[in-house]
Amino acid sequence: MMASSSPLLADYTDHFWLPVSASTFGEQVDSAFMLVLWICVFFMVPITFALVYFCIRFVKAKGQPAESQVSHNTPLEIAWSVLPSFLLVWIFVKGAIGYIDQQNAPEGADLLSVKAFKWGWTVDYGNGVFHPELHILNDQPTKLTMRSSDVIHSLFIPAFRVKRDIVPGRYNEIWFHPTQPSERVSEEELEAALLDAKENNDGVFDQEKYQFTVDGYRFHDLYCTEYCGRDHSAMQTVVVVHDSRESLEAWIKKYSGRGEDESPAEYGQKLYERRGCASCHSLDGSKRVGPSFAGGYGSNREFTDGSTGIVDENYIRESILEPKALIVSGYNPVMPSYKGQLSDDDIDSLIAFLRTLADEGGGEN
Amino acid sequence: MSEHSVGRSRGFNPGAVSESDNYLKNSKGVLSWVFTLDHKRIGVMYLIGILTSFFIGGMMAMGIRAHLLTPTGALFASNDTYNQVFTLHGAIMVFLFIIPSIPAALGNFLVPVMLGAKDVAFPRLNLSSFYLWVIGALFFIGALLGTGLDTGWTFYTPYSTTTDTSVILATLGAFVLGFSSIFTGLNFIVTINTMRPPGMTWFKMPLFLWATYSTSIIQVLATPVLGITLLLLIAERTLHIGIFDPEFNGDPVTYQHFFWFYSHPAVYIMILPAFGIISELISVHSHKHIFGYRFIAYSSVAIALLGFLVWGHHMFTSGMSSLTTIIFSALTFTVSIPSAIKVFNWLATLYKGSISLTTPMCYAISFLFLFTIGGLTGLFLGVLSVDLHLHDTYFIVAHFHYVMMGGTMIAFLGGLFHWWPKITGKMFSELGGRISCLIVFIGFNMTFLPQFVLGSRGMPRRYATYDPEFAFLHQLSSYGAFLLGIGLLVAGVVLVYSLFNGKQAPPNPWGGVTLEWQCTSPPPYYNYSRPPVVGDPYDFTGLGWNEGDDNYVFLNPIESPDEAPVESPSEVPAHAGGQS
Repeated sequence: MMASSSPLLADYTDHFWLPVSASTFGEQVDSAFMLVLWICVFFMVPITFALVYFCIRFVKAKGQPAESQVSHNTPLEIAWSVLPSFLLVWIFVKGAIGYIDQQNAPEGADLLSVKAFKWGWTVDYGNGVFHPELHILNDQPTKLTMRSSDVIHSLFIPAFRVKRDIVPGRYNEIWFHPTQPSERVSEEELEAALLDAKENNDGVFDQEKYQFTVDGYRFHDLYCTEYCGRDHSAMQTVVVVHDSRESLEAWIKKYSGRGEDESPAEYGQKLYERRGCASCHSLDGSKRVGPSFAGGYGSNREFTDGSTGIVDENYIRESILEPKALIVSGYNPVMPSYKGQLSDDDIDSLIAFLRTLADEGGGEN
Repeated sequence: MSEHSVGRSRGFNPGAVSESDNYLKNSKGVLSWVFTLDHKRIGVMYLIGILTSFFIGGMMAMGIRAHLLTPTGALFASNDTYNQVFTLHGAIMVFLFIIPSIPAALGNFLVPVMLGAKDVAFPRLNLSSFYLWVIGALFFIGALLGTGLDTGWTFYTPYSTTTDTSVILATLGAFVLGFSSIFTGLNFIVTINTMRPPGMTWFKMPLFLWATYSTSIIQVLATPVLGITLLLLIAERTLHIGIFDPEFNGDPVTYQHFFWFYSHPAVYIMILPAFGIISELISVHSHKHIFGYRFIAYSSVAIALLGFLVWGHHMFTSGMSSLTTIIFSALTFTVSIPSAIKVFNWLATLYKGSISLTTPMCYAISFLFLFTIGGLTGLFLGVLSVDLHLHDTYFIVAHFHYVMMGGTMIAFLGGLFHWWPKITGKMFSELGGRISCLIVFIGFNMTFLPQFVLGSRGMPRRYATYDPEFAFLHQLSSYGAFLLGIGLLVAGVVLVYSLFNGKQAPPNPWGGVTLEWQCTSPPPYYNYSRPPVVGDPYDFTGLGWNEGDDNYVFLNPIESPDEAPVESPSEVPAHAGGQS
């Protein structure tokens, strides 16, 4: 449907109305969008013209009678009530067909599970590999099974034209079929960016600034589109489409577990950044949703049930696995459990990382 | 009674109102306003209240747009502040401004006058609904001064059951405001059903009354659902009853169904009275019979009824079943037909009219343009596959601002200018009014047209910070918003200035035929000394323009007023029980 009109406009639309299209849904959604746009133009232009023309042509001095006092014309009114309905049926059917296509993932699609939380994303790549970025394979249908650990979020990838709310207490699914692999920037460009980040930004890699990931991939944006609190607007990640399964698996391997020559504290810091700790626990003593990690280890805490205790290995472990057991006074029990999502070595590494922060400024607990 | 003989040589002219009859001046002192049962004074108090709310909500909008001048946020120190400001902007505009704006402020003033009645059916209920509005507003101010509110005006669970902010205060406020709205609706339904004057059959009612009647039906039927939803929300938050919060085996999507079952019809509570105003404005200022009276009247009722069946289109991405989603999409399209009918009818009314480009007419023409864009862009959102892309982006923000602000707010302003001489007895500066309309029109389009593009390119709504590639369009939108703010300020200055320096308004400055133009400007507290004579509300052939006092007079009253039964008005309205 409408295949005739959209290609003519493709160049124009790619630059003005819609973002790059990188999935099989693009054509369907974009052609429906352009169809409705032309219907709008079809109505808007004559209406505006008539409005302006009448207001110029029929302006009269005060006290002049109108040229006509016609009060109705039933055939005309029935015509303009009924005829637009046919256009409505057309766009309704087209939209419904596109919608149904998005509901049923084909057999043999890659499966990934995605967890949304305040305020970040975790994609489970299996074998204990979790990462906030979504890496998928080109020309391969991929289905995401999504869950939320706190409030409602919504996964939106504009380039794929897909969106689905993630409602706590249920699983929501979404699928897409990417059609364009992400480019990789040259090694020189990547190194220059890494160096720039190290020198000018305390080693924090700002991918919006460079427009590629820390691994050198160009990306599509992935947004949260259901308002979810303070850092809703920061709840973004990236989608990288790999051109071959080898490339995808090499990337996954790079992030699987602690390297052989990596210390637990170093790996713990990576987990802190990658697994969403950073969105609620600061490293500089400032108060976010949860207590800061700075000076946390070894300190004496007062809990909401009135008891007190030392923040030691066991308390940290319990707080990761059963976060709602003992809450530090002044905070709410909002942290989701990481039971089953962090290996013993991961928890060890995080504890080791927290230990390195023990003596850094007290801040407010 | 002497005023009734003024101008008789040129036709019927009610003349000027005496100081002792003028509803604004016939009793003095704060208490005469606080305890008034006069629908006109209650309408004026509503007007002051909702304009204050509009000003506060508008300043918040200026804050939002100033913050979005830069991708990282230019104004507020933290995202939390931004989130609170956009939440309160939405909540104040929806609950305190748009919903009560036309029905409660203009409706209260106009419904009895248009019916030739002395007051609404239940004057005490009317006053109580105003005080409920005040109490509701106080709850909102309490929330604002307390820990704020950061849930978005929709109070979606489980965010609203877990956040630290004043959700309970704000929802109690919305609950109380709901009763205010129900009482107003109930009052208008009874008034219109029982108090129409002899000769005013249903199809001789002004279209504003049809729109108000349809609106009132929605207010009475839908608002209780909001009430129970908000009570359940409070119970979930305090008692964990387990209906909306998944942590206690509740379902957040159930909340969305409950909420939108009210809040979608509420959209029609906002827009239907605007349709009513525009029908009056277009016809009166074209001096031509409204085209297709019955289609416009029936389409108001059709919108009111169909509006109850389309709430699911707010939830296309929430995870309803495919079948439910598709059915809601189909139903959504049905509601676009009656809206389109009205636009065509208004255009046809302009054709071969005698158009006076007065300030109210300029606003009505702006409305036609802006509402048509708002309505047509709704088609994108009804098309399911396209909605998946546009849902919760700036496209939605632009669409509902075109409908709510470009539609309702512009119609409200047009109506305010149109009936200002009747309400206050003063004429405003036409030049100033038209300039304000031009600035508002340009500013409005500059604010919200770029947001359609932002949204279709993928910019999500309710973002305190954004990706740099969206910066240019956001800046354009912000500068447009500032211009819009200036335009509205100009309109405000023009109106306030007229209060002190405007010349005395004649009884019928625009040439309307509906009954409110047959009493003085401003009306006496009893509205009419004798029951007015009812004819076709859009038959302009019997009007003549009197250049001397810039007034329209009824040349050939269907029956001479002298022959209508004369009844001396009592010193105070009967319902006031001797209170003055």
